[in-house]
Amino acid sequence: MAHLAVSDVRASYGALEVLKGISFSIEKGEIAALVGPSGSGKSTVLRALMGLTPITGGEVDIAGETMNYSSAREVRAARDRMAIVFQQYNLFQNMTVMQNLTLAPLKIKNWDKAEVASEARRLLSLVGLADKADAFSDQLSGGQQQRVALARALALKPQILLLDEVTSALDPELVNEVLDAIRKLADEGMTMVIVSHEMAFVREVADKVAFMDAGQIVETGTPAELFDAPKTDRARDFFSKILRH
Amino acid sequence: MNYNFQFGVVWENFPALLEGAWLTFQLGCFAFAGGALIGLVGAALKTYAPWPIRFLVDCYVVFITNTPALIQIYFLYFGLPEVGVRWSNEACLLIGLTLNAGAYLTLILRAGFLSVRITEIEAGQTLGMSLLQQVRYIIVPHIAKSIYPALANFFIVVLVMGTSVGALIGVDELTGQAINLSSVNYRWLEYFTVVAGMYVVLTFIASIGLALLGRWAFRVKARIF
Repeated sequence: MAHLAVSDVRASYGALEVLKGISFSIEKGEIAALVGPSGSGKSTVLRALMGLTPITGGEVDIAGETMNYSSAREVRAARDRMAIVFQQYNLFQNMTVMQNLTLAPLKIKNWDKAEVASEARRLLSLVGLADKADAFSDQLSGGQQQRVALARALALKPQILLLDEVTSALDPELVNEVLDAIRKLADEGMTMVIVSHEMAFVREVADKVAFMDAGQIVETGTPAELFDAPKTDRARDFFSKILRH
Repeated sequence: MNYNFQFGVVWENFPALLEGAWLTFQLGCFAFAGGALIGLVGAALKTYAPWPIRFLVDCYVVFITNTPALIQIYFLYFGLPEVGVRWSNEACLLIGLTLNAGAYLTLILRAGFLSVRITEIEAGQTLGMSLLQQVRYIIVPHIAKSIYPALANFFIVVLVMGTSVGALIGVDELTGQAINLSSVNYRWLEYFTVVAGMYVVLTFIASIGLALLGRWAFRVKARIF
């Protein structure tokens, strides 16, 4: 049984169908990457999984529970099992780094205060920001903010982590510190779905890649299969453009 | 110029001026607090209510912000008794100032509502926050911080400019008190010199209080000067 199984998921913005039947599945500890041109629906897949974009068809099986997001309870269940990191970090600007990490575990989950605090400190050292616990987000660089966002997502102990173009808004020299933090998570066996334009990174960490175009998955395979020997014309065209340099 | 300044009579009546200043301070605070309440409701309606209600809020804001506060207060003080509604002069001033502040604060708070970033709310949602938790932990702190400077400035406007209108309908706030006293012994220059200084001190105290509140509650690096 797959850890995450997405079957025939559809979504629309008004009359425009942006996801035209998406299906894929990943096992526990696997890392899947969604790649493809802008507007192909990669981010929408992650947003639909988190219940931010309503789906109009299909269903999702997350760690043994099948759902179609039709009720508030199902949306909550999905958010219980998964966490997302956004391109623009989306930290709470009126709170310190530590408060960003501990708000949800303390106020929403009502977890034990001492345990939450020690877990938050562990996560901050994991992402290399142990000394920034009391900083506010406007005192941090983009790369640091994104690592805080990563730690905040992990603080709820998700079973699956979704990363939505987490390095796209960063200066080139800050990209690596974020990728390093994700590498550590991969080593810890975290199940992840990554939307990324960092093809070298995808090739390095992903177990499987899905190439998306116009709201559909066009081709899937291992990074080597897809990047080096794409079977479809559309994928060949895309990779020949972006992997050349 | 050989004007002979005589401040002695002003100091003799200083306690009366202090009383006036205290009344000014109270009127400013109450009008601002009441106006903030109206503004909060108005801004929420402007942002979330269906169009007929939004239109009514617009009418209120346009009518109030495009007419002088003095006319609005005269309307309550001289106009309403004609149809049988009589309020004391203090009540007319306070109600007039509150309604006036409410319209401006609707505009200020509306800007705050619009500045809440949808992305932060989405982050809260994916962490499992309920609507109430989003309001409490994200929306309210964000609005408070983003509009704090405009709020603090407007409080000073109400405190100084708004309340002094009371002098024209016989409310003994600071300006009214100064007019009463100086018309007894004609020491206009001395009285108004001292009263101007008292307004500056009053504003200064209010500014420090607001700056400390802003720093403590909203992490705003407010400047006093």
